[in-house]
Amino acid sequence: MSLKSYIITRIILALPMILILLIMIFFILRIIPGDPVLAILGGKAPVEVIEAKRHELGLDKPIIIQFFDYLGDVAKGDFGVSTLTSRPVWSEIKDRFPATLELTIFSFILALIIGIFWGAEAAWRKDKAIDISARVYSIFIYAVPVFWLGLMLQLLFGIYLRWLPVGGRLSPRVSLDIKTGLFLLDSLISWNWEAFWDVLKHLLLPGVTLGLVISSIFLRMVRNNTVLMLSKDFVKAAKARGLKPKVVLYGHALRNAFVPIFTIMGMQFALLLAGAILTETTFSWPGIGSYLVLKIKYRDFPAIQGTIIFFAIFVVIISIVIDIVNALVDPRVRY
Amino acid sequence: MRKFMVIVGLLLIILSFAAKDVIVVGTTDKIRTLDPANCYDYFSSNILQNVLAGPVDYEIGTANIKPWLFESWDVSDDGLVYTFHIRKDAFFEDGTQIDAEAFKFSWDRVMRLNGDPAFLLTDVVEKVEVADKFTLKVTLKNKFSAFVSVLGYTVAFPVNPKVYPEDSFYEFEPSASGPYKVAEWIRDVRIVLEENPNYFGPKPKTSKIIIQFYENSQQLRLALETGEIDVAYRHLDPRDVLDLQNAPGIKVYLGASPQIRYLVVNVKQKPFNNPLVRQAIALAVDRGTITEDIFVGLANPLYSMVPAGMWSHEEVFPKRDLAAAKEILKVAGYSEENPLEIDLWYTPSHYGTTEADVAQVLKESLEQTGMIKVNIKYAEWSTYVEYFLNGTMGLFLLGWYPDYLDPDDYLWPFLSVNGAKSLGSFYENKNVEDLMIAARAATDQVSREMLYKLVQNFHAAEIPYIPLWQGSADCEAHDYIKGIVLEPTQIFRYYILETK
Repeated sequence: MSLKSYIITRIILALPMILILLIMIFFILRIIPGDPVLAILGGKAPVEVIEAKRHELGLDKPIIIQFFDYLGDVAKGDFGVSTLTSRPVWSEIKDRFPATLELTIFSFILALIIGIFWGAEAAWRKDKAIDISARVYSIFIYAVPVFWLGLMLQLLFGIYLRWLPVGGRLSPRVSLDIKTGLFLLDSLISWNWEAFWDVLKHLLLPGVTLGLVISSIFLRMVRNNTVLMLSKDFVKAAKARGLKPKVVLYGHALRNAFVPIFTIMGMQFALLLAGAILTETTFSWPGIGSYLVLKIKYRDFPAIQGTIIFFAIFVVIISIVIDIVNALVDPRVRY
Repeated sequence: MRKFMVIVGLLLIILSFAAKDVIVVGTTDKIRTLDPANCYDYFSSNILQNVLAGPVDYEIGTANIKPWLFESWDVSDDGLVYTFHIRKDAFFEDGTQIDAEAFKFSWDRVMRLNGDPAFLLTDVVEKVEVADKFTLKVTLKNKFSAFVSVLGYTVAFPVNPKVYPEDSFYEFEPSASGPYKVAEWIRDVRIVLEENPNYFGPKPKTSKIIIQFYENSQQLRLALETGEIDVAYRHLDPRDVLDLQNAPGIKVYLGASPQIRYLVVNVKQKPFNNPLVRQAIALAVDRGTITEDIFVGLANPLYSMVPAGMWSHEEVFPKRDLAAAKEILKVAGYSEENPLEIDLWYTPSHYGTTEADVAQVLKESLEQTGMIKVNIKYAEWSTYVEYFLNGTMGLFLLGWYPDYLDPDDYLWPFLSVNGAKSLGSFYENKNVEDLMIAARAATDQVSREMLYKLVQNFHAAEIPYIPLWQGSADCEAHDYIKGIVLEPTQIFRYYILETK
């Protein structure tokens, strides 16, 4: 199969997957107790006002009719309107997603740096202190809940040492011209170094928390694959040719170890989005994760459904991109 | 070198003055919407009260109504037609005049869009007419003496007809008509208010206010202590407030709050359908431990649904009396061997972090009779509402924040048949409802006060709700900030804040 037809197949296969997800989330939300109108107006507005509002939102229709109404809207690209804020869900996602993307990219890069360099060095000096520490680190970090790690870092660097802010994205007095919603990028575009430094300080704690958690997975993968590659004949041949150790490690062993790691990276990126929910809640990061938590609290059906579908589409796109890059990087990969 | 020092000195002086013109306020609240037609949460209203001008305002620090956009008003003899006279020098940010057409557009829009707070107008208003450019005629469905008080709420604030769509809610920055305009709004990050040069009233004392949003009390406290913000307004945990009272350079302001907290008793559910059970519970609850231990003195025990300080308030519920509670329980057929077993419900996060502790204190205080066994249960807010509306819960904690400052808003929503249904007590008493209707129709305060006192006494005799405590508002600020007034109306006016 050519890459082009593979991509088309992947997109076609993604459609039923998204549909199944949509069906699941739609019905689960309506089966569990709680109702968006009650969550907003309960304990305040008279019963008849609540009923009128439910009617207006179509919540009094049979669930199956509600589902097909919603499906029709989604097919037209309309995610509906948030019951909590009356804003189009798509506008809200657009407002919130850049924050999550910024956090995720930052964490991902950090995790890659830790995973690749520490993992490669640990493999090179197998069973030495650097390797043992890498293995202990990866098991410890993998076992630690992300919110606990976040709270501990907050306590140390935010509260005791007061080096870094414990929440938010930007200090109140720092101004920033927002263009992309990725604050770090926006501050660079406008050459606003004060904002850049401030955004970076805000990004450090949540970014490091999330990055460390993911780094443990990369570290183990890189170490194990590189150890395997180092035992291969081509590495021995490279060593025999008198190449420098760094060249053997990074130019030969790691390069070949990287193909399966690359696929894992794509999957980890999706996991990072899930981890972002906990990290964002811990660090008051106004991204899509904390948005989802808030919307679940208020049973904002359209917003929850919209966010989950958005997540799913995003993950599908990322995995397709990873596949394409994989095919381009490794000529042996054919679909 | 001297020249250089002078320039640096001058720059520093300029900068220090410039810095004083900005005050940063931190909050854990959120803005849901800035469209008055759909705005029904505290903080969104709070922003609108500083950005839009309303029909009427309150005198600073009091609950007394004063004219704002409405210069004066007349009421017809039958109490059904209100004629409002609008001031002629009021404009929106873009220069559009605020006239009777703008009011008619806004109120009709509220009623047509039927957003969350719309019932405050739709329940009362029959029609809105433009009598002339600056005169608005409003016909009510029934006599309602608290109508002008309702107009103090943001649902009645006029919006710019050139900006707000007629048939849908508006999701962007409002077109200002009040002391400030919205200069920047990064949702859930911050909102920046700047002086509105088109406002007819006095200029704000500080030309720029930055309101920064935080997720929780700890972050808000830290931001205040590190100087990231100048003022912390809503919500620090009671313990944090207590700690900050002793912090150097920080001043804690405490004020009255119109918020009341109470237990709802579902009078249709066994065993609460027995009035003796309700009386015993009302006698056994320990308000003092809640206000002193949990709220560290930042709340006051409450013995009526009408809060202390409001006209017509009367302490109609008895003080704690365990012996009397035991006697009543005995009469009801309970004993230490055969205790009354009840479930007490609370919701863990909707009312802040203290709710589980409150439920525990209530459980202990009831169990001190030796004749009541309490099981504590909880549910998240949206489930909680469903449970109390369908009558699942028999005894549960709830809170009330008024929409307008009048005893009517503390009695009608609770004791009218429809109101009681929407709060889960299912209380029905035609006589009490008639008394409240009579109070709504009465135009003189003396008669209304008498009627409301009667209603409160009926309430204390039948106990569909047990008032527990009245919150106090708090605000924490660095000592160089002046002008903080915690008003009984809960309007927080940013335009009177200043740096000294």
